[in-house]
Amino acid sequence: MDMNDGVATGGVLTRRRFFEGLAAVGGMSLALSGLDALGFSMASATERPPELTGGAKGTKVLILGAGLAGMTAAYERSKAGYQVQILEARAFAGGRCQTARKGFQHTDLLGNTQTCAFDEGLYINHGPWRIPYHHRSTLHYTKQFGVLLESFVNDNDAAYVYFEKGKGPLAGKPVRKGEIAADARGYAAELIAKAASKGDLDAALTPADREKFVAYMINEGRLSPKDLAYTGTEGRGFSVHPGAGVDPGPGKELPPFAFKDVLDSGAWRVLTSVAGYEQQRTMLQPIGGMDQIAKAFEKQVGPMIRYSTVVEKISQTGKGVKVSFKDATGKVGEIEADYCICTIPLSVLKQIDLDASAPFKAAMAGVSYAPVDKIGLQMKTRFWEENHHIYGGHIHNDIPGIGSITLPSTGWQSQKGVLLGFYNFGGQAARISAMKPADRAAFAVAAGQKIFPEYAENYENAFSFAWHLAEFNLGGWAEWSETGRKEAYPVLCEPDGRLYLAGEHLSYLGGWQAGAIESAWQQIAKIHARVQQA
Amino acid sequence: MTSALRYALPLAALASVTASSVALAASPPKDAYEDNCSACHQVTGKGIKGAFPALAASPLVTGPAPVLVSTVLNGRAGMPAFKDDLSDAELSGILTYIRASWGNKASAVTPADVARVRKAPPKARGLQAH
Repeated sequence: MDMNDGVATGGVLTRRRFFEGLAAVGGMSLALSGLDALGFSMASATERPPELTGGAKGTKVLILGAGLAGMTAAYERSKAGYQVQILEARAFAGGRCQTARKGFQHTDLLGNTQTCAFDEGLYINHGPWRIPYHHRSTLHYTKQFGVLLESFVNDNDAAYVYFEKGKGPLAGKPVRKGEIAADARGYAAELIAKAASKGDLDAALTPADREKFVAYMINEGRLSPKDLAYTGTEGRGFSVHPGAGVDPGPGKELPPFAFKDVLDSGAWRVLTSVAGYEQQRTMLQPIGGMDQIAKAFEKQVGPMIRYSTVVEKISQTGKGVKVSFKDATGKVGEIEADYCICTIPLSVLKQIDLDASAPFKAAMAGVSYAPVDKIGLQMKTRFWEENHHIYGGHIHNDIPGIGSITLPSTGWQSQKGVLLGFYNFGGQAARISAMKPADRAAFAVAAGQKIFPEYAENYENAFSFAWHLAEFNLGGWAEWSETGRKEAYPVLCEPDGRLYLAGEHLSYLGGWQAGAIESAWQQIAKIHARVQQA
Repeated sequence: MTSALRYALPLAALASVTASSVALAASPPKDAYEDNCSACHQVTGKGIKGAFPALAASPLVTGPAPVLVSTVLNGRAGMPAFKDDLSDAELSGILTYIRASWGNKASAVTPADVARVRKAPPKARGLQAH
């Protein structure tokens, strides 16, 4: 059936047989320790929180920021017996884990105030919005706290791609991803299969492998086994779909595009052999909005949070940390603790009076933050589902300033929907965010109209968010240059006195909630070890 | 480029093409500044206190060009990297503009100045992030 079977039946002791043997003799635990010894451990360090055993010795920990890093640290530390307090600048917990729904209000640094006016039940995740299946740290807490998940469609063959900067008849025309994929890979497979069958690739292939390789190309490109030609395939779609009786009966397949037109279009940019590590095809999202995760954490650690409290100064006494703050009424105060875990983004922290060593402060300058914009557009009908049969996924395009247009993976077949009208970053995000919210919406609607003729007539209202213009974020996520990663990052991963930094910016999962959680896990384990040694 | 245009087009046609060819090459420095930079540093160059530094009367802006070029290309201290968003011509235009606006008086920055600091050519961004 597969190649492994050939090896297993050959009488060789394969890894699988070895472990099956261990399990039979010593039960599953022996098999698992065998896996461990050979480096095939099933539990990675990042799968679950560190075990903080041995007591907290009355240690007081002050956490700055009630985002996922701060709340993770607070939750695990308080469970281990530490005295924990969190200072949060905003009036709500979650940090970037936010969801905009009816009544959600935001005033950016330019003074634009928006109040979300979506209908009841509709929302946009303007911060994190999808969880790759392998972000086990995030999934650890959704499971533990009972946050219900649903699928996030991160790849959809029925979704359009739209490349207006391409050339030829397909440029500037919405084409389904599956059509481009079938044709580009089909024609490519045909070329390679024909070359291989003629012996042109023999330097790379043994005669036995050649036959298998040609079979693989036939499979990959859906070629005719007879003449190795690609002439289209049913999976790319029909002009008349197959059905009952003789009419429509077998239906009518759409013919393939010409290879040259596909190449000229540039739309093959959306095709890769496998999804990127972060862009898995299988993603998840909380039912009802990403902030369900923030709310679940808040349920556990809410009483420890002091809201609307802005940190003004962080000083160190040698034996502890002293933090000065201002509350919503303008009243100032101070809190002392044995240790401080600071999750404030470095873009914001650098503006705060901070008592840290010179190398630590220099390292803080070694990072940049990404400008990031999103906009949710409420549509009065789900025309993408009804008329275009696209259920979730992205409309990849090259319209400057748009990035991705994404259709909602929730509320299928209901009356209305909120789609993501743009998701841009870098210079494009800086550009779009300079517009007034109404102009951003008009820009987004005009762009979407190029792809869906129903876009403008269905548009009702919008909510946009620019992360670099959000007072307590000043950027969507940290971006490390190669030099910064090498020189600054390791310095900031270590404590400065009794100050420990945590957050997505101190991980290789930058911009993901898993990065925030796992960074917090790492730092609380370090503090705990220090407390145990003291 | 200018001579190529002259060569290819009758003079009468030149005026009508200018707007679109400029848009294709690079927008005027003031527009390019307002498009790319003003969301944070403001049209006035005054920035936003506590968030984004002022460019007016800024020692970094009027100081040695290579340091300024590197800051905008690669990002620093919260400032995003623009290396994949702006060409050498666009960036030198913007930097020349901010070095001679709002009371700043510093020498012009040339595309060659940017090219010397830039380590790699701009690359297309991926289709997705996060």
